[in-house]
Amino acid sequence: MTRYIIKRLIQGIPLLLIISVVLFALMMSVGDPVATMGGRRVTRAADYERLKRQLGLDKPIYMQYIYWLVGNTWTRTDVDGDGVAETAGTRLGILRGDFGTSLVNRKPVMQVIGERIPNTLILMLTGEVIVILGALVVGVYSAIRQYSTLDHVVTALSFIGYSLPIFFIALMSMYIFAVLFKRWGLPYLPTVGMFDPQVGKTFVQVVYHMVLPVISMSVVSLASYSRYIRSTMLDVLNQDYIRTARSKGLPRRTVIFVHALKNASLPIATIVGLDLPFLLGGAVVTEKIFAWPGMGRLFLDQVYRADTPVVMGILMLVAVAVIVFQIITDVVYAWLDPRIRYD
Amino acid sequence: MQKQSVLYTLFAILVVASLVLSGCGGRPTTQVANGDTPVSGNTPQASQTAIPEKKVATLIFTQEFDNLAPLYSSMWFVWTTWQMFDHWAWEFDVNNEPFPVLVTEIPSVENGGVSADGKAITMHLRNDLKWSDNVPLTSEDFVFTWQMAVSPQNTVATQYPYDMIASVEAPDPQTVVVNFTDPFAPWLANLWHGILPAHILSPIYAADGTIDNAEWLKRPTVGCGPYNFAEWESGSFARFVRNDNYWGTPAKIDEIFIRFVPDDASQTAALKAGDADMGTFISYTDVPGLQDAGLKIVIEPSGYNEFMFFMVNAGKSHPALMDVRVRKAIALAINRDGINNDLHFGLTKTPASFWDALPYYNNPPLTAYPYDPEQAKALLDQAGWIDSNGDGIREKDGVKLEISHATTIREDRQDVQAVMQQDLADVGIKLDVNPVDDTLFFSSYADNGPAARGKYDIQEWSDGPLFPDPDIYYWKCDQIPTDENPTGENWFYLCDKELDRLITLQSTQIDPVARQATISQINQLFYDKVYIIGMWQDPDVYAVGSRLQNVKFSGVTMFYNIAEWDLVP
Repeated sequence: MTRYIIKRLIQGIPLLLIISVVLFALMMSVGDPVATMGGRRVTRAADYERLKRQLGLDKPIYMQYIYWLVGNTWTRTDVDGDGVAETAGTRLGILRGDFGTSLVNRKPVMQVIGERIPNTLILMLTGEVIVILGALVVGVYSAIRQYSTLDHVVTALSFIGYSLPIFFIALMSMYIFAVLFKRWGLPYLPTVGMFDPQVGKTFVQVVYHMVLPVISMSVVSLASYSRYIRSTMLDVLNQDYIRTARSKGLPRRTVIFVHALKNASLPIATIVGLDLPFLLGGAVVTEKIFAWPGMGRLFLDQVYRADTPVVMGILMLVAVAVIVFQIITDVVYAWLDPRIRYD
Repeated sequence: MQKQSVLYTLFAILVVASLVLSGCGGRPTTQVANGDTPVSGNTPQASQTAIPEKKVATLIFTQEFDNLAPLYSSMWFVWTTWQMFDHWAWEFDVNNEPFPVLVTEIPSVENGGVSADGKAITMHLRNDLKWSDNVPLTSEDFVFTWQMAVSPQNTVATQYPYDMIASVEAPDPQTVVVNFTDPFAPWLANLWHGILPAHILSPIYAADGTIDNAEWLKRPTVGCGPYNFAEWESGSFARFVRNDNYWGTPAKIDEIFIRFVPDDASQTAALKAGDADMGTFISYTDVPGLQDAGLKIVIEPSGYNEFMFFMVNAGKSHPALMDVRVRKAIALAINRDGINNDLHFGLTKTPASFWDALPYYNNPPLTAYPYDPEQAKALLDQAGWIDSNGDGIREKDGVKLEISHATTIREDRQDVQAVMQQDLADVGIKLDVNPVDDTLFFSSYADNGPAARGKYDIQEWSDGPLFPDPDIYYWKCDQIPTDENPTGENWFYLCDKELDRLITLQSTQIDPVARQATISQINQLFYDKVYIIGMWQDPDVYAVGSRLQNVKFSGVTMFYNIAEWDLVP
């Protein structure tokens, strides 16, 4: 198994290089970070030329990629525009752990990302736990009570939940539980942000402000996961060995949770394994609507400003996470199903 | 069973981990109160500051700052925020008139502040100015600000207008003399938007050769405004607390809390729910609902207007657009008042000129061409564009009157495109509409940006003069982009020699009356030759909650009287 993991990790290196080349090329066509600099009018010609030169954006794309990858300490740059390259490069490149500096706020990329990751994980992990636990309860119950009234109700709700776009759920829940509840004199939830500035950023405040975003982002996933679990559980419950276990007189709870659920977990582990790395990427729509300062909003904002260093940092982080979690998923496969061997 | 318990444990760890992360409440922040020593500022401190008497006004910004340092941003939201913690030398009131802040009076020819040749501006600073750390603010800070603006080692957002200056002198601590290379009329609207504290940044510049990496640029904890920067949590909020060392009248509100909410609908919900005291850049469609919820709507002309810009260039445009009668016919054929009344709920008006928000220069005031499709048809007939084959589209010399139009994908623009398409079809003009993503639409000439390349016959966006200055230098012939001049800003590809002469003239006219006369000539020329069609005035729209009092907005910025704002229960 160790050899397998090492082999997969080594295989991931050229894959990441290819991904980085493709993403970098795509980022170059997203827009021009100096075109307006976030202002209402286009950047003045003299400033445009100066900023392009100072930020190294006047170099050919392949050279910008090389600087991003291995740094520019081996070369000099003409920062002052006198035609003489006089300033030694200071960028170390991603291979030496330097993800560069944001073109928008001039902060190191890892600092920019590091400021947002905790907020994203708070939201996404909570949501993921609720989704997994909720889907297990709903999915297993629906499977063992197939065609019961509750199964029909859950099935209908699942399809409704799965059909609704997240932005609709988010805005509707915000309007009902914050605006209308307050108007009706009922206990109401906050609309945006992580805390009330009059109170401060306390544990209770953060949890209070998480309620609506977590519910909004969980509904769709909960609906799809529960359908998936119901389906795989039904497959397993119809297997011969489950009938054998039942006929041997094993308790119903043991049959369902030990023999059936464990085997039904294999495909579930696949979708969870695929989902987990994207938790780092945040929830773009939910974070935007609830003004939650996570990675999704950061990504959206920086793409809009064509901030290549930050966007590349986020994408490479997610790419690494995808590779790592794929390996972890394979390991979990082997743990869940002893028939699977990688050596 | 052992493996199963491991599975349960894994789930438990996930739950606990998420709760622990919640408890951390994101990254630990650092708060600075009144420019004092930074203190660790996680939850306990935040709780301590939550005394009921404290007046905290919550404002919503729909865009987050890129940074807060003067010179280093082109964002309007940043410019206006400087006024809270780092005054402009003079600011602009509700009538967009300048009033002195750091200076004793606005320099003019009459008071000797502006030299007769218009090349020298002499400013006298108040003698009670000081930074929030009690260091006096002097003319040396102005000299240093200019030096940093033009230093080739600093990546400032723009060097304008500081690169028009030959030197800045400080003959004494309260006198600043600005020497321009040439007479420079737009100085009043563009100089000294925020001052850099030399006592903090000059040692860094001396050591590093640049201030790009100075901590003050990211956390400007020392300022000269009524509020001090306290903290800024990326993507979430920025906090400003009252400057107790302020040299002026102290602010009435203890804390200004700016929350970044990028979604319009969320901002509206937050305002309706009372989670914010003020919203910015309110969508026209949200105005009635907010008014119903008891919020006051303030519509402030910003100098910007939504324009259609004709491509009047023989090598680029549709041949019909070279004829002023066709351009005028298009202006007459589109029901712009209808658009403003129906799509914008009557909250906007049809502009007649670039200077609608600057009445001094829109003088005599022009009136927009009316909606008159019959006159439009007559003009097209006169110009020789006739629908001879009955397909509904006019043609001339075998060329159909099919005109391309492009703007960004903003929803109201797409709605307007559809209306215009129908209005023009009614007079026999086919309009091909092209909504383009704005980052692509406004990308540069070098990147083949469609607007910069003048790809379409009519281009549309919101534009205006260098408000509150009337200058429109970017319409000059030498601003037309070419392979040799790829950074030219004349994306209209119009070269009118008379217009060129007048624009050059006004930029050097120090005498306001003479300049006003020149701008009026430009105004009339634009109108007569129909180079542009004003679609709607593009004002700044604010929503103000009932708790917030004494709020006044300028069309230039929103915080010019923030020290006078107050909160009532």
